[in-house]
Amino acid sequence: MEMRPQFQIQTIIKAMTEDVIPALDQTNQLAMQSAQLTIGTLMLISQHLPLEYRYDCDELTRLVATAEVLKSQAKAGETTSAAVACLKETARSGADVLSRARAEPAEILDAIHKLRASTSDIVRAVYAEGSEAAQSAVQATVLAMSKDQLLRDRSWLLMQGWEPDPKAVPAIDTLLAPIAKG
Amino acid sequence: MQIIDKDRPSPELIASMRKRFEVEREVDRALTYKMEKRSGPAYTKLPLETLVAGLKSLIASQLKEPFEISNAHWLAGGASKLQVGFDLAWNRPGVGRETTRMVLRNDLAEALHATSRLREFQIVKALTGTIPMPPVFWVDNTGEHLPYPAIVYGFVNGVTKPSNAKSGVTGLGTYLPEDVRNKLSPQFVAHMAKMHTFDFSKAELSAFDVPQLGKQNAEWVVNWWDRVWAEDAQEEVPLMALASSWLHKNAPAVEHLSIVHGDFRTGNYLFNEADTRITTWLDWELSRIGDRHQDLAWSTSHAFSVLGEDGKTLLVSGLMPETQFLEEYEKASGLKVDKKALHYYQVFNAYSMIGMTLGTSYRVARNGKSHQDILLAWLLGVGYMLLDEMRGLIEKGV
Repeated sequence: MEMRPQFQIQTIIKAMTEDVIPALDQTNQLAMQSAQLTIGTLMLISQHLPLEYRYDCDELTRLVATAEVLKSQAKAGETTSAAVACLKETARSGADVLSRARAEPAEILDAIHKLRASTSDIVRAVYAEGSEAAQSAVQATVLAMSKDQLLRDRSWLLMQGWEPDPKAVPAIDTLLAPIAKG
Repeated sequence: MQIIDKDRPSPELIASMRKRFEVEREVDRALTYKMEKRSGPAYTKLPLETLVAGLKSLIASQLKEPFEISNAHWLAGGASKLQVGFDLAWNRPGVGRETTRMVLRNDLAEALHATSRLREFQIVKALTGTIPMPPVFWVDNTGEHLPYPAIVYGFVNGVTKPSNAKSGVTGLGTYLPEDVRNKLSPQFVAHMAKMHTFDFSKAELSAFDVPQLGKQNAEWVVNWWDRVWAEDAQEEVPLMALASSWLHKNAPAVEHLSIVHGDFRTGNYLFNEADTRITTWLDWELSRIGDRHQDLAWSTSHAFSVLGEDGKTLLVSGLMPETQFLEEYEKASGLKVDKKALHYYQVFNAYSMIGMTLGTSYRVARNGKSHQDILLAWLLGVGYMLLDEMRGLIEKGV
């Protein structure tokens, strides 16, 4: 999927800087300030996006570790015991999430790109030197995989308005499988 | 796995692309030019004065007598060109002193189509008198005078759609009222037929290579878009690898070579609103000598179709049902429509449009090479619908 926020933000900032801001009434302070803040906010988002997942995992790791320490330190009355029980449960749940969050988004994307490339190489190789039967089989497999993937791609971009019959495309949240729990 | 830096292509990478994909010589030159310039600076706003200075230099190189440029102003030029309107006071050959309204179409640092302005110049000259064409005056094919390659046309009056019509970005899927399409449809068919039966053998088309009858034509044009995809796409798409292999395997033989426009659809002609007469055909940059089915398939693409008032009938290029279009084309041209070739070029056209959107649009916007990166970034979204259309076409067969 080429349409990713960082790429899109870059084009928005350029359009704002080169086309929109110069066309604004430069004496309209509110409009000028809002436009500059729009660019600033987009730049901030662009900087945060690639690190957001790591940032959150980093904090979760720290909280889980701190919970482990607090569990042994928090010895007092009934209220504290109840709070510790709650902390144990949320720490266990947090540790479970962390144990499943082992790959960074960039690694997942890299794996996707590598598999796309090696799948494409297989297709080309089979068409270059494979039998008719092998070519037919590979064609059927790639078409079937593409059909499922493209339904998701089209749903992902439904709001853009390219679809002749938008109602025929399911909403993206109904098509994406949830991340399996360990 | 080898990492290829397509944003800063090495001479070795450029040479390997040229060797891997056999294409027409001028197509090769335009694609090589694109790759050699790619690592250069991003597009920055050009002052009008810079373009006017370049224009003066270009015209001075062509005219011996004095001339004057006035009233230079920006025109909306779409996603792939910068356009400047201007008036030229000059001694026009065969006419005498006059002031002519003209349009400069200038490439960008990198555009949606890395094509040749010389081919565009030659094809427009060649077809003048056969179908409505804009007057064309001069060409700067390598950016010798202007910052980027450019071509100078005469200004032609007309609109691409009625003033009150609805259409999407870049004029795709334009809705035309019934009375308008009833007048435009016969002209659309007649012009395509005349273009496809035009005898190009005596025309000055030195920037075009003529394929042999048979499969060479299809091989060349698929190689062209294979190369664009290889040079521009960021991510491999297995379906594109499959489509390319399928296209090479199923290449049809052409038995009659024609001038092919390459983007023959509503949105690429102008007409007078008063009498609904087509005044000119535009956007010749993808033209070539090849198989008429390439144009027929392009015109019938769902990307350019709209639903009629009944909500069921798909109108080819917003004009008429496909069956009517193809029947009338056969009558007007005397050439047969081969369903297998039509299907083949439907797959091919989807393949090339995906190359333009998911491949080139992405690369150009990523490197900030155009004046409308945000539009290109938006347009690439249509690539997924086209991929699915192509998947369905391959799966369905003829």
